This record gives sequence, structure tokens and C-alpha cells, in this order.
Amino acid sequence: MKILLAEDETDLANAIKALLIHSGYSVDLAEDGQYAVDFAAQNGYDAMVFDIMMPRKDGLEALREIRAAGDTTPVIMLTAKSEIEDRITGLDSGADDYLTKPFAMAELLARLRAMTRRARPEAASVITYANIEVDPSSSELRAVNSISLAFKELKLLELLVKAEGKVITTEEIYDRIWQDDPDTSTKIVLMYISYLKNKLRSVGASCVITGSPESGYTLTEG
Amino acid sequence: MENIYGQYKERVEGVMDDLLYKLNGYNNDIINAGGDPVFDHISARIKSDRSMREKLARLGLAVTPEMALSENVHDAVGVRIVTCFIDDIFENIKQIRALKGVTVLEEKDYLTNAKPNGYRSYHLIISIEEPFEDAAGATPGMWYAEIQLRTIAMDSWAALEHRLKYKKQISDTALIVAELKRVADELASCDVSMQTIRDMIKEIKHEDSAC
Repeated sequence: MKILLAEDETDLANAIKALLIHSGYSVDLAEDGQYAVDFAAQNGYDAMVFDIMMPRKDGLEALREIRAAGDTTPVIMLTAKSEIEDRITGLDSGADDYLTKPFAMAELLARLRAMTRRARPEAASVITYANIEVDPSSSELRAVNSISLAFKELKLLELLVKAEGKVITTEEIYDRIWQDDPDTSTKIVLMYISYLKNKLRSVGASCVITGSPESGYTLTEG
Repeated sequence: MENIYGQYKERVEGVMDDLLYKLNGYNNDIINAGGDPVFDHISARIKSDRSMREKLARLGLAVTPEMALSENVHDAVGVRIVTCFIDDIFENIKQIRALKGVTVLEEKDYLTNAKPNGYRSYHLIISIEEPFEDAAGATPGMWYAEIQLRTIAMDSWAALEHRLKYKKQISDTALIVAELKRVADELASCDVSMQTIRDMIKEIKHEDSAC
């Protein structure tokens, strides 16, 4: 696993880096916030550890820029101050966790493990149902044949599979998948149900989506 | 060296022209009746002298005009029907089955069963009866042709994949093969989405006319 460490205090940076490498991580060290932004733009990381107080660009600013670029990598903030305000600003800027200096190295490692554990399995697990396989990492639907799914089609199919035969209403589907799209109406659900029905058929799936906009939808075998 | 089709060369061209005439015929009938065209375009070719000789040799058959035009080799005449939408492929197959003098001998559905590399297409081998003598000496004559049916997206994919086949010295072949497969699945996804939207538009039209 790869970690981006942004810390300007050389001694502390080297100590953390050595510990992380010793624990089996590979580490890129950024000496200030600007370098951190540059590193994050160039490479993919499993987690990031940012100091708040840094020259050129502080940790909060760097984090905000990285999040604005669409990067959702888990981030732990290191803060010298233990004031509540700082922690709140850090979390609101997109941090997933924080540690107050001085901290125990063992705690940093434990928090990294917890964070990467949360981030991992969802991204990788292939969903199976009847004769279909849905691979979220490649957005691929496979049965006799294979086809790509659009992001929202993938989310919709995941939702239907996880419902395990229970009916999901149009409103539930809309709230779960289109909650961030104010410009759409629940009619979009029927459109995506239709796409998925035809894509399931085109790969020779042995399961079908049944239902209507009024009654809701369910995925069943046969 | 004489052309592989020998004295039958003009007759083979006649078969191809007749088949194209028949295919364009039903498309025009549909358009004249107020319907949407069932294909975007058709292309046709007579298998080149060199390819036909290679094929006969590969199959261990006599390299003669009679063998090239026999029931052992069906693709001296090759026609490709390129459609805008997936369902049009099946509409064309229905129309072809209904053509007088044409019989579908064999079909391969690479839409439902795409090839592992991502190739999608529907292949028909047909016989077509012509008033003139065939290479076996029978009148009316029995001639053969292969028809490939695919959407525009499948067709442009096949054109791209074709380039890979003839580049022996290409680096990163594995990467390109994998990417071609991924793109084939994305194009298939778009084809199905477009078909879905087209069906929805049709439904809206029906509802409007019902009011």
C-alpha cells in the first residue's frame, strides 16, 4: 500500500517515514502542502497523512485542493494544536480522521489500518447473482457475454442485487442514486431500468427485472 | 494466370448485383411505405483472386473456378449490411428470409455470443437462385453468398480491430487487445442504450396517436 506523507519537520517526517516503510508501506514524502498537491495529482495513494502547519500551502488548503480535484483517498490530519476548532475545520475540509501531536506511532498505524480497511473491500468485490457477475472496478456486467455499464446503471444493479428479491420503489431508487442531481425527475428511474433490462438480456443473463414505476422493481431469477 | 472465377466472373458479379438489388428493394419498399430505413448502408465485394486461392488451398480443395463457386465455399460474394440500431439487424434477417429465391443455409449469432476479442456481428450464409447456369452446370443456377449484419458501432470497431491483425510488429499487443475488448463492450452498451431510447420514443408516438 502506498502512503503520501506531508510533513515539513524533517526529523518527525523521517521518523514517520521509516516507521511506515518498516510496517510494509511504500511512502512518498512531501515537504510542504504544494508538493503534496503535486504528488496527489500524479500518483494514486491508499491513504494520506497531512500535517496542518506547513510552509507555502498548509495541510488544510492542500486537502481542499485535492478533494476539489475529485480525489477521495482517506486522509489523516496531524495537528499540533488540540483545539476543537482545528479538528472541525480539518474534518470539514475533507479529512477522514485526525491525530493530535504528540501521538503514539502505534496509534497512527492503527488508524491507517482502520481507514484503508474501510476504503478497500467496496472497491474490489465482484457481485454475483444468478449467472451474472458485476465487476464494479471495471463497470463490467458478465454472463454468457459481457457489456460495460454506465456508473448509474452499475449503482442501480448493485441496489437491486442487494435487495435480495425485495421490491424497491421508484422513490427509493431515485433517492439513493439521483440524490445529488437536482435537475432530474423520478422518470429517469424508468429510463435506467429499461437500459438495465436490455443490457441484462444482451449478455444472456438468467435474471430479469420485473415491476413498474408504480409498484417498484425487483430482480428475480428466471 | 487466369482469374480464379474464370469464365464465371461476370456471372458472379451478376449474383452480387442481384443480391444488392433485392436488399435495396425491401429497404426502399419500407421507406416508401413511410417507415424508417432498416439499414444505413450496404457494401459488397467479390473475394479477391488471391484470397480465394489461399482459402481453397487452406481447405485442401482444388483451386478451380468450379470449386470456388461450389457449396463448399460460400463467400465468393460477400455483403455487409450496416444498421443504425440493433433491432434493425433482426428486421433485415426477417426481410432476407422472405426474399424469393433466397434460402438461409447457416447463421452465426456473434451478437448474443460475442467472440472473446469483443467482435460482434450476425453472419448468414445464403443460397440464391439465378436464371442463369451455375458453375456445376445447373439451370436455374444455385449461387452462394455470405451476409454480415452489424451496427455502425460494431462496424467501426471491426475496422479498427482489422488494423491490428495486419500489424505483426506492434508493441503492447496485449494492452491493445485488452483495450479493444473493453471498447467493444462499451460500444455494445451504447448500442443497447440507443435501442432502448428508440423504443421509448416509439412508445411515446403510440401514446400520442392513441389520444
